[in-house]
Amino acid sequence: MTDPIAMEVFSNRLLSITEDMGSTLIRSSFSTNIKERKDCSVGLFDAGGRLIAQAAHIPLHLGSLLGSVHAVLAHCDVAHMRDGDAFVLNDPYLAGGTHMPDIAIVTPVFIDGAVRAFAANVGHHSDVGGPVPGSISGRARSIFEEGLRLPVIRLVRGGELDEDLLALIAHNSRDPEERSLDLKVQVATNVRGVSLMRDLVRRMGLAAVTAVVDDLLAYTARRLRNRIRDMADGEAGFTAWLDDDGLGGDPVPIRATVAVRGDTLAVDFAGTAPETRGAFNVPESALRATVYYTVKTLLDPDLPPNSGLFDCVAIRAEPGTLVNPRFPAAVGARSITCNKIARALFGAFAQLLPADRAMASSHDSVPAIIFSGPRRTGDGSFVYLETIGGGMGARCDTDGMEAIHVHLTNTSNLPVEALENEYALLVDEYALVPDSGGAGRHRGGLGIARQIRATRDGVVFSVRSDGHMLGAPGLAGGMPGGTARLVRNIGTGSEETLSSKTASIVLAAGETVRIETGGGGGFGVPSERDPAALAADLRDGKVSAVR
Amino acid sequence: MYRIGFDVGDTFTDFTLHDTATGTLRHFKLVSTPADPSEAIAAGLRTLLETLHIAPGQIGFIGHGTTVATNMVIERRGVATGLITTRGFRDVLEIGRQVRPHLYDYTVRTPVPLVPRALRHEVSERIDAAGAVLHPLDESEVAAAADALAAQGVEAIAICFLHSYLNDAHERRATEIVRARLPDVYLSTSSSVLPEFREFERFSTTAINGYIGPRMERYLDRLLGRLAGLGLTVQPYTIHSNGGLMSVDTIREHPVRCCLSGPAAGVVGAAEVAREAGHANLITFDAGGTSTDVSLIEDGLPAFASGRTIADYPVRSPMVDVHVIGAGGGSIAWLDDAGALKVGPRSAGADPGPVAYAKGGAEPTLTDANIVLHRLDPTALLGGAMPVDENTARQAIARRIAAPMGLSVEQAALGIIRIAVANMSRAIRSVSTEKGHDVRAFTLFPYGGAGPLHAAAVAAECGIGRVLVPVEPGTMCARGILLSDVSLDLVRSGIIPANPAGWSRIAQHYATMLARGGAWLDGEHIAAGRRRFEHVIEARYQGQNHEVQVRLAADRMQLGDFLAAFAEAHRREYGYDVPGRGIEVVNCRLKAVGLIDRPAPHFIGATGAPRAKATRQVHFDEGWIATPVFERAGLAIGTRLSGPAIIDEMSATTLVPPGCVLRVDRSGNLLLENGA
Repeated sequence: MTDPIAMEVFSNRLLSITEDMGSTLIRSSFSTNIKERKDCSVGLFDAGGRLIAQAAHIPLHLGSLLGSVHAVLAHCDVAHMRDGDAFVLNDPYLAGGTHMPDIAIVTPVFIDGAVRAFAANVGHHSDVGGPVPGSISGRARSIFEEGLRLPVIRLVRGGELDEDLLALIAHNSRDPEERSLDLKVQVATNVRGVSLMRDLVRRMGLAAVTAVVDDLLAYTARRLRNRIRDMADGEAGFTAWLDDDGLGGDPVPIRATVAVRGDTLAVDFAGTAPETRGAFNVPESALRATVYYTVKTLLDPDLPPNSGLFDCVAIRAEPGTLVNPRFPAAVGARSITCNKIARALFGAFAQLLPADRAMASSHDSVPAIIFSGPRRTGDGSFVYLETIGGGMGARCDTDGMEAIHVHLTNTSNLPVEALENEYALLVDEYALVPDSGGAGRHRGGLGIARQIRATRDGVVFSVRSDGHMLGAPGLAGGMPGGTARLVRNIGTGSEETLSSKTASIVLAAGETVRIETGGGGGFGVPSERDPAALAADLRDGKVSAVR
Repeated sequence: MYRIGFDVGDTFTDFTLHDTATGTLRHFKLVSTPADPSEAIAAGLRTLLETLHIAPGQIGFIGHGTTVATNMVIERRGVATGLITTRGFRDVLEIGRQVRPHLYDYTVRTPVPLVPRALRHEVSERIDAAGAVLHPLDESEVAAAADALAAQGVEAIAICFLHSYLNDAHERRATEIVRARLPDVYLSTSSSVLPEFREFERFSTTAINGYIGPRMERYLDRLLGRLAGLGLTVQPYTIHSNGGLMSVDTIREHPVRCCLSGPAAGVVGAAEVAREAGHANLITFDAGGTSTDVSLIEDGLPAFASGRTIADYPVRSPMVDVHVIGAGGGSIAWLDDAGALKVGPRSAGADPGPVAYAKGGAEPTLTDANIVLHRLDPTALLGGAMPVDENTARQAIARRIAAPMGLSVEQAALGIIRIAVANMSRAIRSVSTEKGHDVRAFTLFPYGGAGPLHAAAVAAECGIGRVLVPVEPGTMCARGILLSDVSLDLVRSGIIPANPAGWSRIAQHYATMLARGGAWLDGEHIAAGRRRFEHVIEARYQGQNHEVQVRLAADRMQLGDFLAAFAEAHRREYGYDVPGRGIEVVNCRLKAVGLIDRPAPHFIGATGAPRAKATRQVHFDEGWIATPVFERAGLAIGTRLSGPAIIDEMSATTLVPPGCVLRVDRSGNLLLENGA
C-alpha cells in the first residue's frame, strides 16, 4: 500500500459523497418506497466500471449497480458519451437489473473532457405497469408480464432531460406523478454525485485519486483474503428448499457448494433446480448481491463494499437454472428466493467457518402481504404491501433475535395506527408466535403473527410467502424453527388454511386473514440450555410448558 | 444577584456562575459522583458560595442539566415496570419496527425490552382510527392486571392503548382504576406522555417514562434536600431535551423529556453566544472524550427533531437535533491486519483513558497523538491539575503504530489526527451539506475539551471559513443553561386534511393547547408580557409517510398562510413542491415559552498587548515550529494573532495553525479565519 493514511482520509471523503447522494435521494424522493422504506442505493464507479464506494440501504442492492454500469459500458462506448448524459435502465436480461421495479440511473463523470468515473443509483418504484398493481406477481409466466422493460436508454442528453421519454416511462405506471418525481430526483442525485466527485478530484488531483482508489480496492481484497484464510480449506454444500414454484409445484431445491483453498473462495450452485414457471427466478445481479451479502456478513461485516470484495469470490451458476434463468423467465418475486439462497450459503459456510461465526438458519423468507380495496373513509382505493419479519437463527453464544427481517431485506413495518387510519382494515393482533423458535442450547428467534380484518366488503388479498412446509434447520444439534402459516377466518366455522402463495382472494367485511411467519433454528442440543434462560422463556410465555 | 447553571456529566460536573451586578461569568469543574450525582452538585455549590462569599439568599436562579435520566436507560438501572395494553398488542414493545439494527452484523442486537413479556398484560378494549369505541374497556380486567403487576413487584406501570392520541377515555379510566388500587406505583399514560400517533414509538416513550420515573423522583428529592441544606431558597429548573427549562414538578411527571438535557443546553448556549457575536448560522462541534456531537443552527434557530433513540430505544419528544459519532479524544488508534490505520470507534474513555494519563491505558488515542506533537501541553492538562506522561504516549505510538507502518512517531501521530479529523468532518457534512446547506455560509462553533483543538483542521477539511471559540469551551453546557428560557412542548396528533373543514379542527387543537400552555405558564409564574407561543405544524402530501415541519407565526395561523408555508417548507427541504396535490396535517405542536429575565453577561478582558507565557515546539503539518503559548485570560478584546499559536484555558486548548489568524471579539470569543 502506498499511503494508508491518505487512503483512510480519502475513504471518509468518498463515503461523504455516497452518503450525500443517498441522503439527497431519500430526502427528495416522493414515494414511500424510497423515502420511508429506503429501498434504494447509490454508488460511485471508476471509469473502468469498478465499484469504489456504495451506500446500500438494503443488501439486495449490494453490487447490483455493478450490473447496471457494466450494461451501460457494454452498450455505449465512453467516446460516445457527452458531459451531462444520463442513462435509465431496469431490464434483468438487457441491462443488468434485478427485477423491473428497480430502475437505475447511471451518469458519467466528465473531468477535463474525459469520462473518469460514474455516479449511479437505483430505486424500487412502487409500480412499473403490468397486470398486477406493484408489478410483482409470483404467478407471472414471463418478463412480459412484469411491466415496462427498459434497456440502456439515454434519458438525459448533454444536460437536457428527455421529457417525452420520461412521460412514456411514467405513464406506463399506475402512479405517473410519483414515477416522474422520483426519476427526476434520481437524475438529480447523480448530478450531485458528479459535482462532488469533480470537487474531490480538483482538490486532490486525478493522479492521486487514481492511486488511492487502487489502494482502497487492493486493501479491501487483502483484508477479505485474510478472513478467507481463517476458514478451513475444503468444500461444503447445503440444500435449501422453496415450498413450491408459486404455481403449486413440488418443493424446489437450491444447492450451494462453497470451496475454500487458501485465500480463494468459490461458490457453485450445481444441483439447484431448473428455472421455474413462476416469478421466483433470480437474475445474475440479484444472485451476485446475495453471494456478496453472505460473504460480507459471515466474514467481515464492516468490509467496505467495493469491487475489491467482489474480485475475491468466484460464482458459478448453470444457465437455465433458478439462479441463472434464461430470457424471458419471470423474475419479479426473486427476493424470497434470494433469502433461500442465503440459507443455502449460510448452511455451507457454517461447515467451514470458525464456530463463533456460524449461525443456524433464520426464517429466510420475505413474506409479503398485499391488500387492496376501498380506503377507510370510502374515498378512493388503496394498495397496501408489507413484508413481515420472523425469527433469526441462534448462534453459538446467543439466542436468535425475535421478529426481524433477515438477509437481503430490512424494511420496517407500517404502524397499526397508520394502517388503520388509511385503509379499510383493522388489526386484531400483532404478536410474537410462542414456541416458534427452534430449541437448542441457544434458542432460535420467534416469528410474527399479524391478523388483519377487512372492515368493508371487497378487500382483495394476496400473499407471497414460503417456509410453510419446512422450518428453519437448526445447527450443531439445535432443533428447527416453527413453520409459517396463513389462515383465513381463524377461530370461526369457516376457518381455512391457505397456501403460501395465494393470489387475489376477496374478503367480505368482518373476514380475517392471519399470517404467522417462521421462527429461527436453534444452536446446540436443547438439553444444554441454561436453566435460567429456559425459566425466563417459560415465564415470558415464549416457550410453553407442554412442549 | 447571582445565577448558577450546572451540568452533570458522566465525568465532570461543570458550573457557571453569572454575577448580574458586574456581568461577569465564572466557570469551574468538579469530578462527578455517579453513585449520587447530587453530592458533586452540593460540593460545587458550597465551594462557590464559600470562596466567593455569597450568601444563599443572593442566588436568584439555579438551572441544571443532567445525564441521570439517559444513564438510567443506558445502564438499565430503572425500576421494574409493567405494561397494560390493548388485547392483541403486548408484543408491540418487543417487535418494534421489525428491523435488525445492523444490515450485516448479527452480533448487533435489538435491545431487550425494558418491560419483559411476563410484565406486559392485555385488557379488552378497542378504539378505532376515527376515535370511536369499538369495544368498551373491561374494567375488571384492568383491576386484575393491576393486581397481577403488584404481585409481580413492579414500581411503575405504563398504560398504552391503541389510538389513545385520538380518544384518551380508556387510558384515563384505566389510570384511575390502577391508581385507586396501587397508590404508590408510578403511572405513565401514553396519551399524557405523548399524544402522537404511531404506537411503537408512543408505547416505548411511555414505558421509558415509567421506567425512569421513580428514580428520577428520588434524585430530584435528594437534589432539593441538598439545596435546602445549603440554605438556597430558589426552586431549581432542569433543562429538557428541546433546550428549555422546566420546574421540578413537570420533570417528576414527564422525566423522559430530559433524556437529552445536557447536549440541548450546549446547543442553546451556542446559538445565544454566537448570535450575540453576530453569527446566525452555526455548526456546533462538541468534541469530548468519547464522542462528538454536532448540530446545525440556521438563522439563530437550532434544528429540532421529534425523536431519537437512547440505547436503541426510541424516545419521541421534541428535541434539539444532535448528531452523535463515536469519535473523541479517547478514540483508540489501531492497525488492522490488512495494513489500514483506524481511529475508533473503540474508546479508552475516562477509564483507563489515554496512555499519557498513566491510569493503565496501553492503546494510543487521539489525545496521545496531540500530546506527542505538543499540541496539548506535554506536561499537564486542566490548568495543571492533571499531569501527563508524554514519554509513555510516544512509546505506545512508536510500538503499535509507527514501527509497523515504517513511519516516524510524528508522522504516525499526524496520521492519527488526520484520520480523526476526517471522521469528525464526515459528521459535520452529514448535518450540513448532506441536508442541502452550503457550509460557506456557516461558522464552526467548537466546544467540549477536544473541540477547539481540532476545529481549524475540521473547518479546512469541510470548507468552512470561520471558527468561533467561546470562553471556557469545556463548560458550554452549564453556560447554556443560563441562556435558556422556560418552555413546554405540547402536541395534538391525528391525520387531518388541510382543507377548510380540517382547518377548523386544527384551530380547535390550538385553542386547547393555548389554554393548557397558558395555565402551565401561570404555574411557572411567568408574567403576561414575557410569554411567547411557537406554532409548528407537521404535514405531508397525501400518499407520503414523512412529514415536513412548517413554522407559522402566531398571527399567521390561517389555512391560506399554512398552504403557502407548507409549499415553501417542502421546497426548502426537498427542492420542489407538488401544486394541486392534497396535503394532510399529522401533528400540531405548540411550544409555550416564558422568557427569563437575564442581563447579558459582560466580558471584561485583559488589557494591553498579548504576551506569550511560554514558547514550545509544536508539530504541525509543516514540521516542528517554535510556537508561542498564550493564557486566554491574558488576551484583550481586539487582539489579533497569527498562527502558529496555542491558547490555553482551564477547560480546553485552542490550536491556531500556521496561516490562520485569530481575533478576540468584544465578548471574548476567539474568531479564527484563514489568514489570506
